[in-house]
Amino acid sequence: MTEVGESRDSRQASKRAGKSGNPVSRLFGSLGLFISQILDELRKVVRPTRSELWNYTLVVIVFVSVMMALVSGLDFGFQKLVGLVFGNGG
Amino acid sequence: MLTAFGRAFKTPDLRRKILFTLAIIAVYRLGAHVPTPGVSYSLIQACQKGAGDANDLLGLANLFSGGALLQLSIFALGIMPYITASIIIQLLTVVIPKFEALKKEGQAGQSKMTQYTRYLTIALAVLQSATFITFAQNPSQLFANPACTNILTDDSIVTILIMVLTMTAGTGLVMWLGELVTDKGVGNGMSILIFTSIAATFPGALWAIQQKEGRWDIFLGIILMGFVIIALVVYVEQSQRRIPVQYAKRMVGRRVYGGTSTYIPLKVNMAGVIPVIFASSLLALPTLLAQFNRKADGSSAGWVQWIDANFAGGDTWEYALTYIALILFFTFFYVSITFNPTEVADNMKKYGGFIPGIRAGRPTAEYLQYVLTRITVPGAIYLALISIIPLIALVLVGANQNFPFGGTSILIIVGVGLETVKQIESQLQQRHYEGFLK
Repeated sequence: MTEVGESRDSRQASKRAGKSGNPVSRLFGSLGLFISQILDELRKVVRPTRSELWNYTLVVIVFVSVMMALVSGLDFGFQKLVGLVFGNGG
Repeated sequence: MLTAFGRAFKTPDLRRKILFTLAIIAVYRLGAHVPTPGVSYSLIQACQKGAGDANDLLGLANLFSGGALLQLSIFALGIMPYITASIIIQLLTVVIPKFEALKKEGQAGQSKMTQYTRYLTIALAVLQSATFITFAQNPSQLFANPACTNILTDDSIVTILIMVLTMTAGTGLVMWLGELVTDKGVGNGMSILIFTSIAATFPGALWAIQQKEGRWDIFLGIILMGFVIIALVVYVEQSQRRIPVQYAKRMVGRRVYGGTSTYIPLKVNMAGVIPVIFASSLLALPTLLAQFNRKADGSSAGWVQWIDANFAGGDTWEYALTYIALILFFTFFYVSITFNPTEVADNMKKYGGFIPGIRAGRPTAEYLQYVLTRITVPGAIYLALISIIPLIALVLVGANQNFPFGGTSILIIVGVGLETVKQIESQLQQRHYEGFLK
Protein backbone atom coordinates (compact mmCIF):
# COMPACT_ATOMS: atom_id res chain seq x y z
CA MET A 1 0.00 0.00 0.00
CA THR A 2 2.91 2.31 0.67
CA GLU A 3 3.84 2.48 -3.00
CA VAL A 4 0.46 3.93 -3.88
CA GLY A 5 0.81 6.49 -1.09
CA GLU A 6 4.21 7.54 -2.35
CA SER A 7 3.07 8.11 -5.87
CA ARG A 8 0.09 10.05 -4.61
CA ASP A 9 2.48 12.39 -2.85
CA SER A 10 4.45 12.68 -6.04
CA ARG A 11 1.28 13.32 -8.01
CA GLN A 12 0.34 16.15 -5.70
CA ALA A 13 3.86 17.45 -6.07
CA SER A 14 3.29 17.75 -9.80
CA LYS A 15 0.44 20.15 -9.11
CA ARG A 16 2.64 22.18 -6.78
CA ALA A 17 5.57 22.28 -9.18
CA GLY A 18 3.71 24.45 -11.66
CA LYS A 19 3.03 27.24 -9.21
CA SER A 20 6.27 28.72 -7.93
CA GLY A 21 9.38 30.36 -9.36
CA ASN A 22 10.02 31.92 -12.76
CA PRO A 23 8.80 30.22 -15.95
CA VAL A 24 12.16 28.68 -16.91
CA SER A 25 12.91 27.06 -13.59
CA ARG A 26 9.27 26.04 -13.37
CA LEU A 27 9.62 24.25 -16.71
CA PHE A 28 12.78 22.46 -15.63
CA GLY A 29 11.27 21.72 -12.26
CA SER A 30 8.21 20.06 -13.71
CA LEU A 31 10.30 18.26 -16.33
CA GLY A 32 12.62 16.92 -13.65
CA LEU A 33 9.65 15.88 -11.57
CA PHE A 34 8.12 14.13 -14.57
CA ILE A 35 11.33 12.22 -15.22
CA SER A 36 11.64 11.22 -11.58
CA GLN A 37 8.01 10.06 -11.69
CA ILE A 38 8.81 7.97 -14.77
CA LEU A 39 11.77 6.37 -12.99
CA ASP A 40 9.52 5.83 -9.99
CA GLU A 41 6.98 3.92 -12.07
CA LEU A 42 9.71 2.02 -13.92
CA ARG A 43 11.01 0.74 -10.61
CA LYS A 44 7.64 -0.85 -9.94
CA VAL A 45 7.58 -2.65 -13.27
CA VAL A 46 7.61 -6.44 -12.99
CA ARG A 47 10.29 -7.85 -15.27
CA PRO A 48 10.34 -11.34 -16.78
CA THR A 49 12.49 -13.95 -15.10
CA ARG A 50 15.53 -15.39 -16.81
CA SER A 51 13.86 -18.67 -17.73
CA GLU A 52 10.74 -16.90 -18.97
CA LEU A 53 12.85 -14.67 -21.18
CA TRP A 54 14.81 -17.62 -22.54
CA ASN A 55 11.67 -19.64 -23.26
CA TYR A 56 9.84 -16.86 -25.04
CA THR A 57 12.90 -15.98 -27.10
CA LEU A 58 13.37 -19.57 -28.19
CA VAL A 59 9.71 -20.03 -29.06
CA VAL A 60 9.64 -16.84 -31.12
CA ILE A 61 12.80 -17.84 -32.97
CA VAL A 62 11.33 -21.24 -33.78
CA PHE A 63 8.01 -19.76 -34.84
CA VAL A 64 9.60 -17.14 -37.09
CA SER A 65 11.97 -19.65 -38.71
CA VAL A 66 9.13 -22.10 -39.35
CA MET A 67 6.98 -19.37 -40.90
CA MET A 68 9.85 -18.14 -43.08
CA ALA A 69 10.58 -21.64 -44.29
CA LEU A 70 6.91 -22.20 -44.99
CA VAL A 71 6.44 -18.96 -46.90
CA SER A 72 9.64 -19.50 -48.88
CA GLY A 73 8.46 -22.99 -49.78
CA LEU A 74 5.07 -21.66 -50.86
CA ASP A 75 6.72 -18.92 -52.89
CA PHE A 76 9.00 -21.35 -54.64
CA GLY A 77 6.08 -23.59 -55.56
CA PHE A 78 3.86 -20.75 -56.75
CA GLN A 79 6.64 -19.22 -58.78
CA LYS A 80 7.14 -22.51 -60.62
CA LEU A 81 3.40 -22.88 -61.07
CA VAL A 82 2.86 -19.35 -62.37
CA GLY A 83 5.91 -19.75 -64.60
CA LEU A 84 4.35 -22.88 -66.09
CA VAL A 85 1.03 -21.18 -66.70
CA PHE A 86 2.22 -17.82 -68.00
CA GLY A 87 5.19 -18.84 -70.09
CA ASN A 88 8.94 -18.75 -69.74
CA GLY A 89 10.66 -17.45 -66.62
CA GLY A 90 9.92 -18.75 -63.13
CA MET B 1 8.39 -27.04 -24.47
CA LEU B 2 8.45 -27.39 -28.22
CA THR B 3 6.06 -30.32 -27.93
CA ALA B 4 3.49 -27.64 -27.22
CA PHE B 5 3.54 -26.83 -30.92
CA GLY B 6 2.40 -30.38 -31.46
CA ARG B 7 -0.15 -30.05 -28.69
CA ALA B 8 -1.53 -26.94 -30.35
CA PHE B 9 -2.29 -29.11 -33.34
CA LYS B 10 -3.97 -31.75 -31.20
CA THR B 11 -6.55 -29.29 -29.90
CA PRO B 12 -9.28 -29.48 -32.56
CA ASP B 13 -10.44 -25.90 -32.26
CA LEU B 14 -6.97 -24.43 -32.28
CA ARG B 15 -5.84 -26.72 -35.08
CA ARG B 16 -8.69 -25.44 -37.22
CA LYS B 17 -7.73 -21.85 -36.50
CA ILE B 18 -4.05 -22.39 -37.27
CA LEU B 19 -4.74 -24.31 -40.48
CA PHE B 20 -7.21 -21.62 -41.54
CA THR B 21 -4.58 -18.93 -41.03
CA LEU B 22 -2.01 -20.94 -42.97
CA ALA B 23 -4.50 -21.41 -45.81
CA ILE B 24 -5.13 -17.66 -45.94
CA ILE B 25 -1.38 -17.06 -46.04
CA ALA B 26 -1.11 -19.49 -48.95
CA VAL B 27 -3.89 -17.68 -50.84
CA TYR B 28 -2.17 -14.38 -50.13
CA ARG B 29 1.15 -15.62 -51.50
CA LEU B 30 -0.50 -17.15 -54.55
CA GLY B 31 -2.12 -13.81 -55.36
CA ALA B 32 1.25 -12.13 -55.02
CA HIS B 33 2.51 -14.25 -57.93
CA VAL B 34 -0.43 -14.17 -60.34
CA PRO B 35 0.18 -11.38 -62.85
CA THR B 36 -2.43 -8.73 -63.58
CA PRO B 37 -4.13 -9.08 -66.97
CA GLY B 38 -2.47 -6.87 -69.55
CA VAL B 39 0.99 -7.48 -68.13
CA SER B 40 3.47 -9.71 -69.87
CA TYR B 41 4.83 -12.14 -67.33
CA SER B 42 7.89 -13.11 -69.35
CA LEU B 43 8.84 -9.47 -69.96
CA ILE B 44 8.65 -8.72 -66.23
CA GLN B 45 10.84 -11.69 -65.45
CA ALA B 46 13.38 -10.45 -67.99
CA CYS B 47 13.25 -6.95 -66.53
CA GLN B 48 13.78 -8.20 -63.00
CA LYS B 49 16.80 -10.27 -63.95
CA GLY B 50 18.62 -7.20 -65.22
CA ALA B 51 17.33 -4.90 -62.50
CA GLY B 52 19.83 -2.52 -60.96
CA ASP B 53 20.29 -1.64 -57.32
CA ALA B 54 18.22 1.51 -57.53
CA ASN B 55 14.92 -0.30 -57.40
CA ASP B 56 15.08 -0.04 -53.61
CA LEU B 57 13.43 3.31 -54.14
CA LEU B 58 10.14 1.54 -53.90
CA GLY B 59 11.74 -0.54 -51.18
CA LEU B 60 9.27 -0.41 -48.33
CA ALA B 61 6.17 -0.54 -50.53
CA ASN B 62 7.64 -3.53 -52.30
CA LEU B 63 8.64 -5.09 -48.98
CA PHE B 64 5.18 -4.67 -47.47
CA SER B 65 3.62 -6.34 -50.48
CA GLY B 66 6.16 -9.17 -50.32
CA GLY B 67 7.71 -8.39 -53.68
CA ALA B 68 4.31 -8.37 -55.36
CA LEU B 69 4.49 -4.69 -56.31
CA LEU B 70 7.36 -5.13 -58.73
CA GLN B 71 5.75 -8.25 -60.14
CA LEU B 72 2.65 -6.20 -60.96
CA SER B 73 0.61 -9.08 -59.62
CA ILE B 74 -3.05 -8.91 -58.66
CA PHE B 75 -2.07 -8.28 -55.03
CA ALA B 76 0.51 -5.69 -56.06
CA LEU B 77 -0.75 -3.09 -53.60
CA GLY B 78 -1.00 -5.65 -50.83
CA ILE B 79 -2.19 -4.53 -47.44
CA MET B 80 -0.77 -0.99 -47.67
CA PRO B 81 -3.98 0.84 -48.66
CA TYR B 82 -5.77 -0.85 -45.77
CA ILE B 83 -3.11 0.26 -43.30
CA THR B 84 -3.13 3.79 -44.64
CA ALA B 85 -6.92 3.89 -44.49
CA SER B 86 -7.03 2.68 -40.90
CA ILE B 87 -4.42 5.26 -39.89
CA ILE B 88 -6.46 8.01 -41.51
CA ILE B 89 -9.74 6.88 -39.95
CA GLN B 90 -8.17 6.57 -36.52
CA LEU B 91 -6.64 10.01 -36.83
CA LEU B 92 -10.01 11.36 -37.87
CA THR B 93 -11.67 10.08 -34.69
CA VAL B 94 -9.68 12.72 -32.84
CA VAL B 95 -10.52 15.50 -35.28
CA ILE B 96 -14.13 14.90 -36.32
CA PRO B 97 -16.71 14.91 -33.51
CA LYS B 98 -19.05 12.63 -35.44
CA PHE B 99 -16.41 9.92 -35.59
CA GLU B 100 -15.70 10.34 -31.91
CA ALA B 101 -19.39 9.87 -31.15
CA LEU B 102 -19.38 6.74 -33.32
CA LYS B 103 -16.44 5.37 -31.40
CA LYS B 104 -18.17 5.88 -28.09
CA GLU B 105 -21.28 4.13 -29.37
CA GLY B 106 -19.64 0.76 -28.85
CA GLN B 107 -20.15 -2.21 -31.12
CA ALA B 108 -22.49 -0.59 -33.65
CA GLY B 109 -20.32 2.50 -34.00
CA GLN B 110 -17.23 0.37 -34.32
CA SER B 111 -18.66 -1.58 -37.23
CA LYS B 112 -19.67 1.69 -38.88
CA MET B 113 -16.06 2.83 -38.56
CA THR B 114 -14.82 -0.43 -40.05
CA GLN B 115 -17.15 0.18 -42.96
CA TYR B 116 -15.71 3.67 -43.52
CA THR B 117 -12.21 2.20 -43.35
CA ARG B 118 -13.12 -0.27 -46.08
CA TYR B 119 -14.55 2.42 -48.37
CA LEU B 120 -11.47 4.54 -47.87
CA THR B 121 -9.26 1.51 -48.59
CA ILE B 122 -10.95 0.98 -51.93
CA ALA B 123 -10.66 4.67 -52.80
CA LEU B 124 -6.96 4.65 -51.93
CA ALA B 125 -6.49 1.44 -53.89
CA VAL B 126 -8.01 3.00 -57.04
CA LEU B 127 -5.76 6.01 -56.61
CA GLN B 128 -2.59 4.02 -55.98
CA SER B 129 -3.15 1.42 -58.66
CA ALA B 130 -3.94 4.11 -61.26
CA THR B 131 -0.75 6.02 -60.46
CA PHE B 132 1.28 2.86 -60.29
CA ILE B 133 0.04 1.56 -63.64
CA THR B 134 0.59 4.90 -65.33
CA PHE B 135 4.07 4.64 -64.02
CA ALA B 136 4.45 1.06 -65.22
CA GLN B 137 3.97 2.20 -68.80
CA ASN B 138 7.53 3.39 -68.63
CA PRO B 139 9.14 0.53 -66.70
CA SER B 140 12.83 1.36 -67.17
CA GLN B 141 12.58 3.64 -64.11
CA LEU B 142 10.65 1.11 -62.09
CA PHE B 143 13.21 -1.63 -62.44
CA ALA B 144 16.18 0.71 -62.87
CA ASN B 145 16.97 -1.29 -65.96
CA PRO B 146 17.45 0.71 -69.18
CA ALA B 147 16.94 -2.40 -71.28
CA CYS B 148 13.45 -2.74 -69.97
CA THR B 149 11.22 -0.71 -72.26
CA ASN B 150 7.83 -2.33 -72.11
CA ILE B 151 6.02 -4.76 -69.84
CA LEU B 152 2.45 -4.21 -70.93
CA THR B 153 0.83 -6.18 -73.73
CA ASP B 154 -0.98 -3.13 -75.04
CA ASP B 155 -1.51 0.49 -74.04
CA SER B 156 -5.21 0.84 -74.79
CA ILE B 157 -7.40 2.57 -72.24
CA VAL B 158 -9.52 -0.56 -71.79
CA THR B 159 -6.51 -2.63 -70.74
CA ILE B 160 -5.43 0.07 -68.31
CA LEU B 161 -8.91 0.21 -66.82
CA ILE B 162 -8.99 -3.56 -66.41
CA MET B 163 -5.62 -3.44 -64.67
CA VAL B 164 -6.78 -0.75 -62.25
CA LEU B 165 -9.93 -2.73 -61.59
CA THR B 166 -7.98 -5.95 -60.98
CA MET B 167 -5.52 -4.37 -58.58
CA THR B 168 -8.30 -2.62 -56.67
CA ALA B 169 -10.24 -5.86 -56.44
CA GLY B 170 -7.03 -7.56 -55.30
CA THR B 171 -6.68 -5.01 -52.50
CA GLY B 172 -10.27 -5.60 -51.50
CA LEU B 173 -9.61 -9.32 -51.37
CA VAL B 174 -6.46 -8.84 -49.27
CA MET B 175 -8.45 -6.67 -46.87
CA TRP B 176 -11.07 -9.39 -46.58
CA LEU B 177 -8.40 -12.05 -46.03
CA GLY B 178 -6.94 -9.94 -43.25
CA GLU B 179 -10.30 -9.56 -41.55
CA LEU B 180 -10.97 -13.27 -41.89
CA VAL B 181 -7.72 -14.02 -40.08
CA THR B 182 -8.64 -11.61 -37.29
CA ASP B 183 -12.08 -13.20 -36.94
CA LYS B 184 -11.50 -16.89 -37.43
CA GLY B 185 -7.76 -17.41 -37.32
CA VAL B 186 -4.93 -16.64 -34.92
CA GLY B 187 -3.42 -13.22 -34.50
CA ASN B 188 -4.28 -9.85 -35.97
CA GLY B 189 -4.97 -10.21 -39.71
CA MET B 190 -3.26 -7.01 -40.79
CA SER B 191 -0.12 -7.87 -38.82
CA ILE B 192 -0.09 -11.47 -40.02
CA LEU B 193 -0.23 -10.41 -43.67
CA ILE B 194 2.57 -7.88 -43.25
CA PHE B 195 4.52 -10.52 -41.38
CA THR B 196 4.03 -12.91 -44.30
CA SER B 197 5.15 -10.32 -46.82
CA ILE B 198 8.30 -9.51 -44.91
CA ALA B 199 8.99 -13.18 -44.23
CA ALA B 200 8.76 -13.75 -47.98
CA THR B 201 11.42 -11.18 -48.85
CA PHE B 202 13.62 -11.61 -45.79
CA PRO B 203 15.52 -14.81 -46.65
CA GLY B 204 16.15 -13.53 -50.17
CA ALA B 205 17.49 -10.24 -48.88
CA LEU B 206 19.70 -12.02 -46.35
CA TRP B 207 21.05 -14.29 -49.04
CA ALA B 208 21.68 -11.34 -51.34
CA ILE B 209 23.91 -9.80 -48.66
CA GLN B 210 25.87 -12.99 -48.35
CA GLN B 211 26.26 -13.20 -52.13
CA LYS B 212 27.26 -9.58 -52.55
CA GLU B 213 29.76 -9.40 -49.74
CA GLY B 214 30.88 -12.96 -50.24
CA ARG B 215 31.39 -13.15 -46.50
CA TRP B 216 29.72 -15.26 -43.88
CA ASP B 217 30.55 -13.02 -40.92
CA ILE B 218 28.14 -10.24 -41.97
CA PHE B 219 25.47 -12.79 -42.75
CA LEU B 220 25.85 -14.44 -39.35
CA GLY B 221 26.18 -11.03 -37.71
CA ILE B 222 22.77 -9.98 -39.01
CA ILE B 223 21.22 -13.23 -37.83
CA LEU B 224 22.83 -12.74 -34.43
CA MET B 225 21.54 -9.18 -34.33
CA GLY B 226 18.10 -10.58 -35.06
CA PHE B 227 18.38 -12.92 -32.07
CA VAL B 228 19.51 -10.12 -29.75
CA ILE B 229 16.60 -7.97 -30.91
CA ILE B 230 14.22 -10.86 -30.33
CA ALA B 231 15.47 -11.23 -26.76
CA LEU B 232 15.21 -7.46 -26.20
CA VAL B 233 11.71 -7.25 -27.59
CA VAL B 234 10.62 -10.23 -25.51
CA TYR B 235 12.10 -8.63 -22.40
CA VAL B 236 10.26 -5.35 -22.81
CA GLU B 237 7.02 -6.92 -24.02
CA GLN B 238 6.94 -9.10 -20.92
CA SER B 239 7.56 -6.21 -18.55
CA GLN B 240 4.44 -4.83 -17.01
CA ARG B 241 3.38 -2.47 -14.27
CA ARG B 242 0.82 -4.27 -12.16
CA ILE B 243 -1.75 -2.06 -10.53
CA PRO B 244 -3.30 -3.94 -7.62
CA VAL B 245 -7.08 -4.18 -7.63
CA GLN B 246 -9.16 -5.56 -4.79
CA TYR B 247 -12.71 -6.66 -5.04
CA ALA B 248 -14.99 -6.01 -2.13
CA LYS B 249 -16.38 -9.55 -2.15
CA ARG B 250 -13.02 -11.03 -1.51
CA MET B 251 -12.49 -9.03 1.63
CA VAL B 252 -15.22 -10.96 3.40
CA GLY B 253 -12.87 -13.95 3.72
CA ARG B 254 -10.68 -14.91 6.64
CA ARG B 255 -7.83 -12.60 5.90
CA VAL B 256 -8.00 -8.85 6.10
CA TYR B 257 -7.12 -8.20 2.49
CA GLY B 258 -9.23 -11.00 1.14
CA GLY B 259 -8.20 -14.15 -0.67
CA THR B 260 -6.75 -13.16 -4.00
CA SER B 261 -6.42 -9.63 -5.14
CA THR B 262 -5.95 -9.21 -8.86
CA TYR B 263 -4.12 -6.55 -10.79
CA ILE B 264 -4.47 -4.54 -13.97
CA PRO B 265 -1.44 -5.30 -16.13
CA LEU B 266 -0.14 -2.17 -17.83
CA LYS B 267 2.53 -3.22 -20.29
CA VAL B 268 5.49 -0.91 -20.72
CA ASN B 269 4.75 -1.08 -24.42
CA MET B 270 0.97 -1.23 -24.60
CA ALA B 271 0.89 -0.34 -28.27
CA GLY B 272 2.79 -3.35 -29.63
CA VAL B 273 4.18 -3.10 -33.15
CA ILE B 274 1.31 -1.06 -34.57
CA PRO B 275 3.09 2.32 -34.11
CA VAL B 276 6.09 0.99 -36.02
CA ILE B 277 3.90 -0.26 -38.85
CA PHE B 278 2.02 3.04 -38.98
CA ALA B 279 5.16 5.16 -38.85
CA SER B 280 7.00 3.23 -41.52
CA SER B 281 4.06 3.07 -43.89
CA LEU B 282 3.55 6.81 -43.52
CA LEU B 283 7.24 7.34 -44.21
CA ALA B 284 6.95 5.25 -47.35
CA LEU B 285 4.40 7.64 -48.80
CA PRO B 286 6.74 10.51 -49.74
CA THR B 287 9.08 8.10 -51.53
CA LEU B 288 6.17 6.60 -53.40
CA LEU B 289 4.94 10.05 -54.34
CA ALA B 290 8.39 11.05 -55.51
CA GLN B 291 8.71 7.87 -57.51
CA PHE B 292 5.57 8.68 -59.45
CA ASN B 293 6.69 12.24 -60.12
CA ARG B 294 10.21 11.43 -61.25
CA LYS B 295 11.00 12.16 -64.86
CA ALA B 296 13.00 9.70 -66.89
CA ASP B 297 15.65 12.20 -68.01
CA GLY B 298 16.58 13.12 -64.44
CA SER B 299 15.07 16.63 -64.57
CA SER B 300 12.66 16.14 -61.68
CA ALA B 301 11.23 18.86 -59.51
CA GLY B 302 13.28 20.06 -56.55
CA TRP B 303 11.16 18.40 -53.90
CA VAL B 304 11.39 15.06 -55.70
CA GLN B 305 15.15 15.23 -55.67
CA TRP B 306 15.14 16.24 -52.00
CA ILE B 307 12.99 13.26 -51.06
CA ASP B 308 15.16 10.95 -53.13
CA ALA B 309 18.27 12.20 -51.40
CA ASN B 310 16.95 12.14 -47.85
CA PHE B 311 14.18 9.62 -47.52
CA ALA B 312 14.81 6.91 -50.09
CA GLY B 313 17.72 5.08 -48.52
CA GLY B 314 16.58 5.35 -44.94
CA ASP B 315 20.10 6.12 -43.78
CA THR B 316 20.04 9.90 -43.36
CA TRP B 317 19.50 11.69 -40.07
CA GLU B 318 16.46 13.51 -41.46
CA TYR B 319 14.88 10.14 -42.06
CA ALA B 320 15.88 8.81 -38.67
CA LEU B 321 14.55 11.86 -36.82
CA THR B 322 11.22 11.87 -38.65
CA TYR B 323 10.94 8.19 -38.02
CA ILE B 324 11.60 8.55 -34.29
CA ALA B 325 9.14 11.43 -34.01
CA LEU B 326 6.43 9.47 -35.82
CA ILE B 327 6.96 6.40 -33.66
CA LEU B 328 6.79 8.44 -30.46
CA PHE B 329 3.62 10.13 -31.66
CA PHE B 330 1.89 6.95 -32.77
CA THR B 331 2.80 5.10 -29.57
CA PHE B 332 1.03 7.66 -27.41
CA PHE B 333 -1.76 8.00 -29.90
CA TYR B 334 -2.39 4.29 -30.14
CA VAL B 335 -2.22 3.74 -26.38
CA SER B 336 -4.71 6.55 -25.86
CA ILE B 337 -7.21 5.03 -28.27
CA THR B 338 -6.83 1.45 -27.08
CA PHE B 339 -6.81 1.96 -23.31
CA ASN B 340 -9.47 4.18 -21.85
CA PRO B 341 -8.82 4.82 -18.12
CA THR B 342 -12.30 6.24 -17.52
CA GLU B 343 -13.90 3.12 -18.93
CA VAL B 344 -11.68 0.83 -16.87
CA ALA B 345 -12.37 2.85 -13.73
CA ASP B 346 -16.11 2.73 -14.38
CA ASN B 347 -16.03 -1.00 -14.90
CA MET B 348 -14.06 -1.50 -11.70
CA LYS B 349 -16.58 0.57 -9.79
CA LYS B 350 -19.46 -1.39 -11.28
CA TYR B 351 -18.06 -4.69 -10.05
CA GLY B 352 -17.03 -3.38 -6.66
CA GLY B 353 -13.30 -3.24 -7.29
CA PHE B 354 -10.88 -0.57 -6.20
CA ILE B 355 -7.20 0.24 -6.18
CA PRO B 356 -6.06 0.28 -2.53
CA GLY B 357 -5.54 3.85 -1.41
CA ILE B 358 -7.36 5.42 -4.35
CA ARG B 359 -11.02 6.31 -4.32
CA ALA B 360 -13.29 4.72 -6.91
CA GLY B 361 -14.53 6.68 -9.90
CA ARG B 362 -12.71 9.74 -11.18
CA PRO B 363 -9.63 9.58 -8.89
CA THR B 364 -9.07 5.99 -10.08
CA ALA B 365 -9.28 7.06 -13.72
CA GLU B 366 -6.85 9.88 -13.01
CA TYR B 367 -4.47 7.52 -11.26
CA LEU B 368 -4.57 5.04 -14.18
CA GLN B 369 -3.93 7.88 -16.61
CA TYR B 370 -1.04 9.06 -14.45
CA VAL B 371 0.64 5.65 -14.43
CA LEU B 372 -0.12 5.06 -18.10
CA THR B 373 1.49 8.28 -19.32
CA ARG B 374 4.58 7.69 -17.26
CA ILE B 375 4.97 4.07 -18.27
CA THR B 376 4.41 4.82 -21.96
CA VAL B 377 7.27 7.31 -22.17
CA PRO B 378 9.98 4.64 -21.76
CA GLY B 379 7.86 2.32 -23.91
CA ALA B 380 7.80 4.78 -26.79
CA ILE B 381 11.50 5.53 -26.47
CA TYR B 382 12.22 1.80 -26.50
CA LEU B 383 10.20 1.32 -29.71
CA ALA B 384 11.96 4.19 -31.43
CA LEU B 385 15.42 3.05 -30.33
CA ILE B 386 14.94 -0.56 -31.24
CA SER B 387 13.75 0.30 -34.71
CA ILE B 388 16.55 2.76 -35.32
CA ILE B 389 19.52 0.79 -33.93
CA PRO B 390 19.47 -2.00 -36.53
CA LEU B 391 19.22 0.70 -39.19
CA ILE B 392 22.46 2.19 -37.94
CA ALA B 393 24.08 -1.23 -37.65
CA LEU B 394 23.11 -2.13 -41.19
CA VAL B 395 24.54 1.12 -42.51
CA LEU B 396 27.77 0.37 -40.66
CA VAL B 397 28.23 -2.98 -42.40
CA GLY B 398 27.07 -1.45 -45.67
CA ALA B 399 24.17 -3.85 -45.96
CA ASN B 400 21.41 -1.27 -46.07
CA GLN B 401 21.00 -1.52 -49.84
CA ASN B 402 19.50 -4.93 -49.44
CA PHE B 403 17.66 -4.09 -46.26
CA PRO B 404 16.21 -0.70 -46.99
CA PHE B 405 14.19 -0.80 -43.78
CA GLY B 406 16.17 -3.27 -41.73
CA GLY B 407 15.17 -2.28 -38.23
CA THR B 408 11.51 -1.99 -39.04
CA SER B 409 11.25 -5.33 -40.74
CA ILE B 410 13.08 -7.13 -37.94
CA LEU B 411 10.92 -5.42 -35.32
CA ILE B 412 7.69 -6.21 -37.15
CA ILE B 413 8.67 -9.85 -37.61
CA VAL B 414 9.58 -10.30 -33.95
CA GLY B 415 6.64 -8.29 -32.66
CA VAL B 416 4.05 -10.11 -34.73
CA GLY B 417 5.70 -13.44 -33.98
CA LEU B 418 5.54 -12.80 -30.24
CA GLU B 419 1.95 -11.56 -30.33
CA THR B 420 0.79 -14.55 -32.35
CA VAL B 421 2.63 -17.08 -30.20
CA LYS B 422 1.14 -15.50 -27.09
CA GLN B 423 -2.33 -15.67 -28.53
CA ILE B 424 -1.93 -19.36 -29.35
CA GLU B 425 -0.52 -19.83 -25.87
CA SER B 426 -3.47 -18.20 -24.16
CA GLN B 427 -5.87 -20.30 -26.21
CA LEU B 428 -3.98 -23.43 -25.16
CA GLN B 429 -4.20 -22.40 -21.53
CA GLN B 430 -7.91 -21.80 -21.80
CA ARG B 431 -8.20 -25.51 -22.42
CA HIS B 432 -6.07 -26.33 -19.37
CA TYR B 433 -3.14 -27.43 -21.41
CA GLU B 434 0.35 -26.66 -20.36
CA GLY B 435 1.44 -24.02 -22.87
CA PHE B 436 4.65 -23.40 -24.77
CA LEU B 437 6.17 -21.42 -22.06
CA LYS B 438 6.35 -23.75 -19.10
